[in-house]
Amino acid sequence: METLGALARSKTVPSHRFDVWYFAGGLTLFLFVFQFITGMALALYYVPHAEHAHKSIVDIVTKLNMGWLFRSLHHWGAQLAILVLFAHVFSTLLLKAYRKPRELVWLTGFVMLAISIFFGLSGYFLLWDERAFAAVRVATGGAGNLPLVGWVIKGFLRGGLDVTGETLTRFYAFHVAILPLVTIAVAGLHILLVQIHGMSVPLSQERKQGGPEPFFPNLFYKDLIVWLVCLGVVVTLAVLLPPEIGRKADPLAPAPENIKPEWYFLFLFQTLKLFPGEMLGMNGETIAIVIISAAILFFFLIPFFDRRSAMGQRSPLFTWIGTFYLVYFTVMTVIGFLT
Amino acid sequence: MLRVFLIVLFFLIIGTTALCAGAEPKVEVFPPASYDRHIIYQALIFFWIGIIGLVVIIAMKLREIKRVQKMGIDEEEGNVPFLD
Amino acid sequence: MKLDHSAVTRRTFLNTLLTGWAAAVASGTLWALIKFAFPTLGKEPDFVVLKRADFEGIPLNSVKPFAWGGKLGLYFKKQNGTVEALKGVCTHMECNITYKPDEKKFYCACHKGWFDENGRNIEGPPPKPLEIFDIIVEGDKLIIAKKGVKVELPKA
Repeated sequence: METLGALARSKTVPSHRFDVWYFAGGLTLFLFVFQFITGMALALYYVPHAEHAHKSIVDIVTKLNMGWLFRSLHHWGAQLAILVLFAHVFSTLLLKAYRKPRELVWLTGFVMLAISIFFGLSGYFLLWDERAFAAVRVATGGAGNLPLVGWVIKGFLRGGLDVTGETLTRFYAFHVAILPLVTIAVAGLHILLVQIHGMSVPLSQERKQGGPEPFFPNLFYKDLIVWLVCLGVVVTLAVLLPPEIGRKADPLAPAPENIKPEWYFLFLFQTLKLFPGEMLGMNGETIAIVIISAAILFFFLIPFFDRRSAMGQRSPLFTWIGTFYLVYFTVMTVIGFLT
Repeated sequence: MLRVFLIVLFFLIIGTTALCAGAEPKVEVFPPASYDRHIIYQALIFFWIGIIGLVVIIAMKLREIKRVQKMGIDEEEGNVPFLD
Repeated sequence: MKLDHSAVTRRTFLNTLLTGWAAAVASGTLWALIKFAFPTLGKEPDFVVLKRADFEGIPLNSVKPFAWGGKLGLYFKKQNGTVEALKGVCTHMECNITYKPDEKKFYCACHKGWFDENGRNIEGPPPKPLEIFDIIVEGDKLIIAKKGVKVELPKA
């Protein structure tokens, strides 16, 4: 215990022009803990059965003390968690925090990004309303278009050939049990690695650093302030803009008009729309998915592709690549939102 | 401190944008509990007083810590003689 | 009168202020969570409405159960034709009681407690008599109400 205490007291954080981005990781952690707590509260009342799921949410929102508030907190907590997560991902990408020796930090981080997206999708599906139902049909159908492994993933996620009550049970298991435990394990590893390696300093700033700031107590308190303000924003949004719930899903009904996925899927949605139905004699959608998968795989393995950063040299090509990813993501999301 | 302030500003901008942009189109509306809406607003005000109070106090603590650290009295002295 | 030295140090003042304020905010948050997690602690209905036809025709010396919130209520027709409504919950450890028509007593199987026809605890561990409700007849409805509660039906 004493060595831990001594270690904690000696932990310092670098100071430089971009050190404000260091707050993003901890803030993501805070928001996910917030989601765990509000999620546990909601899980006391939610019924994960196709017949009763929708009604249980309606009951929570209308009949329980402050039920609407907790659901609203969970909804807005999720939106902000994913937003801050993207800020964290893109800032570490552009500041090249993934470079040697921190490759594993990046890889574990990417795994958590994928988990978080799935958290969002599975959580949203639990509403069992028309929009959620259609969204999961599209998402699992899209996964099914992956060559070779598509049908396996699709069958596994859906719990069968089509989206049914089995899918709901499965997604509930993912959302409240499987994903939280995996997240804790991976996040533990991720955070441990950061403690071991310390915070990465961007190459351009290595010689321009100010004095390192001690984590305890200085940055601990600064983190607290940032977390408190974020909490304030989440609570305010939750109180003033409680989310609605659509009509109960009917597996036999046609998809509702103007169906759109959650905002963090919009860029994928828009990308798919760019590809024509048929290209060079092959299914356009399959080609689109292959290209997207390749881009995501490249993103995942970027520490190993960026050789110059690994050697501690400036790597402007990868700064451009990173910027392209960010701009593409932002532009496609905005377009998806506006159309 | 300036950076912390910038982050706080970032959040306030996000928050106000979200509030103005409103929610996406949905089918049904469940209003918050059939309370007097004022009770909810009042609770929100108390909540913000709590949060802002906490932030201000933490900032006060940070100022004090910086003051003490500048004096250098928080560092461990190497050869502190023991009373044997 | 101005003091030469401060009664507390800066450090003590700041730490106390921080702890106190944080405790207040934390307890407020915790209160909200607890209120959400325990929605119906001890909440029983003030009254329930039953269909007269379902209950009035039961044979003499018998009971018919009805829902009193989440608990058991018993509509009891005595041998002499008078009716009572009571909470079918033992006053000892809240097990559900049953009516034994041969002995004209209520029996709780958990610890072998006995109550007489009027709900009085006559044998075994139960410390208090059974709770008796008021019965109000309104048209084709039976209103079973907690004693002393003023029942106002919402005008449909």
